[in-house]
Amino acid sequence: MIRYFIIPIVVLIGIISTGLSLASYRETFEREFMLSPWSIAKGETSACIQCHTSDDMGSEMHEITRQWKESWHAKNNISCHDCHGGAPEDASMSMMHQRGFKGSPQNIDIPEFCGTCHIAILDNFLVSGHGETFRNTGEGPNCTTCHGSHNVQQASMDIINEQLCSQCHTYERAKEMKQALFTVESKLNTINKNLNRLKLLGIATDNQEKSFFRNHAEFRALFHSIDVDAVRAKSSDYTQKLEIIEREISESFKQLAFRRNFSAYLFLIFIGLSIVVFLLLKSYEQK
Amino acid sequence: MMWGKIKHWIEVRIGLEELINRHLRSFKTPKGAGFLSTLGFVAMIAFIVQVITGIMLLLYYVPHPDFAFQSVQTITNEIPYGWLFRLVHNIGSNIIIGVIIIHLLHVFLRVSYKKPREITWVSGCIMFFLVLLTSITGQLLPWNQTGFWQTTVTSTIPAFLPIIGEGISSYMRGGEFVTGITLSRYFSFHVVILPVIISVLIGLHVLMIRRQGISTSPSLEPESIETSNTEFKREDHPEGQPCFPNFSLKRLFMVMIYFVIVFFIMTFMQNIFLPPETNFPANPLMTPESIRPPWYFLAPYQLIKTIPNDILGITLIVIFSVGLMFWPFFDAKDAGRNIQKRPLLLSLALIVLALWAILTIWGMYS
Repeated sequence: MIRYFIIPIVVLIGIISTGLSLASYRETFEREFMLSPWSIAKGETSACIQCHTSDDMGSEMHEITRQWKESWHAKNNISCHDCHGGAPEDASMSMMHQRGFKGSPQNIDIPEFCGTCHIAILDNFLVSGHGETFRNTGEGPNCTTCHGSHNVQQASMDIINEQLCSQCHTYERAKEMKQALFTVESKLNTINKNLNRLKLLGIATDNQEKSFFRNHAEFRALFHSIDVDAVRAKSSDYTQKLEIIEREISESFKQLAFRRNFSAYLFLIFIGLSIVVFLLLKSYEQK
Repeated sequence: MMWGKIKHWIEVRIGLEELINRHLRSFKTPKGAGFLSTLGFVAMIAFIVQVITGIMLLLYYVPHPDFAFQSVQTITNEIPYGWLFRLVHNIGSNIIIGVIIIHLLHVFLRVSYKKPREITWVSGCIMFFLVLLTSITGQLLPWNQTGFWQTTVTSTIPAFLPIIGEGISSYMRGGEFVTGITLSRYFSFHVVILPVIISVLIGLHVLMIRRQGISTSPSLEPESIETSNTEFKREDHPEGQPCFPNFSLKRLFMVMIYFVIVFFIMTFMQNIFLPPETNFPANPLMTPESIRPPWYFLAPYQLIKTIPNDILGITLIVIFSVGLMFWPFFDAKDAGRNIQKRPLLLSLALIVLALWAILTIWGMYS
C-alpha cells in the first residue's frame, strides 16, 4: 500500500525543491501572464493610454480613455494615434509634431479631422445645409454634434431625433429625412444581422460583407448631403443592390439547411445500420 | 456466380479463407466480453476516420498564417462536401478522446493492466497522451481566434515546470510568441510526426493483444490464472466466442454507434465544438472575452488556476500522468483483479474520477 504514496511524494518533493531552489522564479509574473488578456495588456503599453490613465492626469483625462474603450472605434481597433497621430510606442516622442502628432482639432477643423478617414461623408457634408452653415458661421452642427467624439457609437437612425435636431431647427424636415431613409436602413439592418448570424455559423461572407459595406457607406455618405429628394431618388437603386445581397444570404441559409438535412440523413442511415448489425449479432448469439 | 468466381480467384492467390480461419475464427474472445470490450477497436476506427478526413482537409489546407484561415473557410464553404469532412474531423477529434477515456476506465476498473499486460497498458496511455497532443496541435491549424489563444495559453503551461519548462514552452512556440513558426511546427507534428508514432503504437498495442489474448472479466476468471504465470502463456479462451463473426459484430455495432453519435452532434449541435470565435481569423492584438481550453483539458486547467502555487499545480498533473502511465508497476503484485475486493483501489479510482468531474464542471463555469 505504501507504494501508492512513496513515488508521488518523492516526485513532488523533487520538483518543488528544484523549483524553489530557483530563487528568481517568476510565479506572479507567470500567473498574470497566463490569466490576463494579452491584447489589453499590449494596448495599455500605448504611451497615450498609459499617460492618460496615470495618477498625474485629472479625471476628465481618465474619462477620455474610458469613453474610447467603449466606443465603436475601439471595437474596430481604431486607436488614439489613428486620429490624433503621434508615436504611441515611444513615450518620449509620442506627442512630437515630427512624429505626426496632431493633437485635438479646433472646432472649425473637426470635419476635416474626421474626414481624414470618412472621405465621402466629408464631401457630402461640406455641400450640405449643415456644412455650409458650419463653414460660413463657424457654428452649427459638425460631426461631434450628432456622433460625439471619444464615445462615438455605431450610427443608426436613432441619431435623428427630435431632442437633437430641434436644438437648431424644427423636427419636421428631419422627420421627412428619417422616413426617406427607412426602407433602405431597415434592409441594411436586416442584412447586417443576417451576415453576422451566418458568420457565427461558419459561412464565409466576405464577398457579401464587402458589397454590404460599400452600399452602406455610400448610402450613409448620401444621407450627409441632407438632401431628402436625393435620398428618395436613390433609394430604389440601393434597394435593388441590397436585394442581390439578400438573395445570396438566402442561398447561404439554404446551404445550412441542406447540411443539417444531409447530416440527419447520415444519422438515420447509421441508426438503421446499427439496428441491422444488432439483430444479426443476436441471431448469431442464439445459434 | 460471378461473385463466386471472383472469390475463388482471390482465394487461390491470397488464401483468404485460411487467413480468416486462423486470425478471426480461431481467435477466441473470452466469455463476458461485452460491448465495452470493443472500445479499443472503436478508438482505432475513430483514429482511421481522423486520418482519412485529415487527408481530405490536407488537400486544400495551406499552413501559413496569411492563408490558413482562408483555406479552412474555402474547405468549409466552397469545396463540395468540404464542410462534411471538416465537421467529421472536428467532432471526431472530441469523440475519440471520449472513447479512449471510457476504454481506459474500463480497463482500469477490470484491473486488466496487471501482469502480463503492462506493455499494453503503457502503450495505451502513451497513445492517449499523444492523441491529446495531436488535439492541441490541431487546434492552432485553422488559425482562428479560439485556436490562436488556446495555443497561447496551453504553450505557457509547461513554462511552470522548473528548469526544463521554459525550454519546452519555447520549443512549442518556436520563440517567445505564437507565430507562423508555431504554425509550421504544430502542422508537422499534427499531420506527420504524431500520427506516425500513434500508428506504430497501435501496431504494438494490437500485437500484444493478439499475442496474449483479450483479458477476461475478473468476475468470471479464477484469480490463480493471472497471478501464477511465470512464463509466456497465451489466453486462448477455448470456451469463448470466435472473434468472427460474434465479437466482430459487437465491434461493428459499436462502430455504428460511434457514427450515430458523430452525425447526431452534426445534426443537432453542429457548432458545439466550434464556438463563435472559431469563425474569426487569429488576431494577436485582440483577446477573446474568455479563453477556455477544450472540455478534456478543463480539469488540469482549472487545477492550475485554483492551486495558488503553479509549481505544485503542474507537479500534480505530472505525477498523475506518470502515475497513470506506470500504474501496473505501482500496483500491488499479489493483489487480485476483482476491484470490488480492493476497496482502497476502488476508492482511489472513484476519488480521482469525482475530482476530475468537479474540476471539469468548475472550469466550464468559472
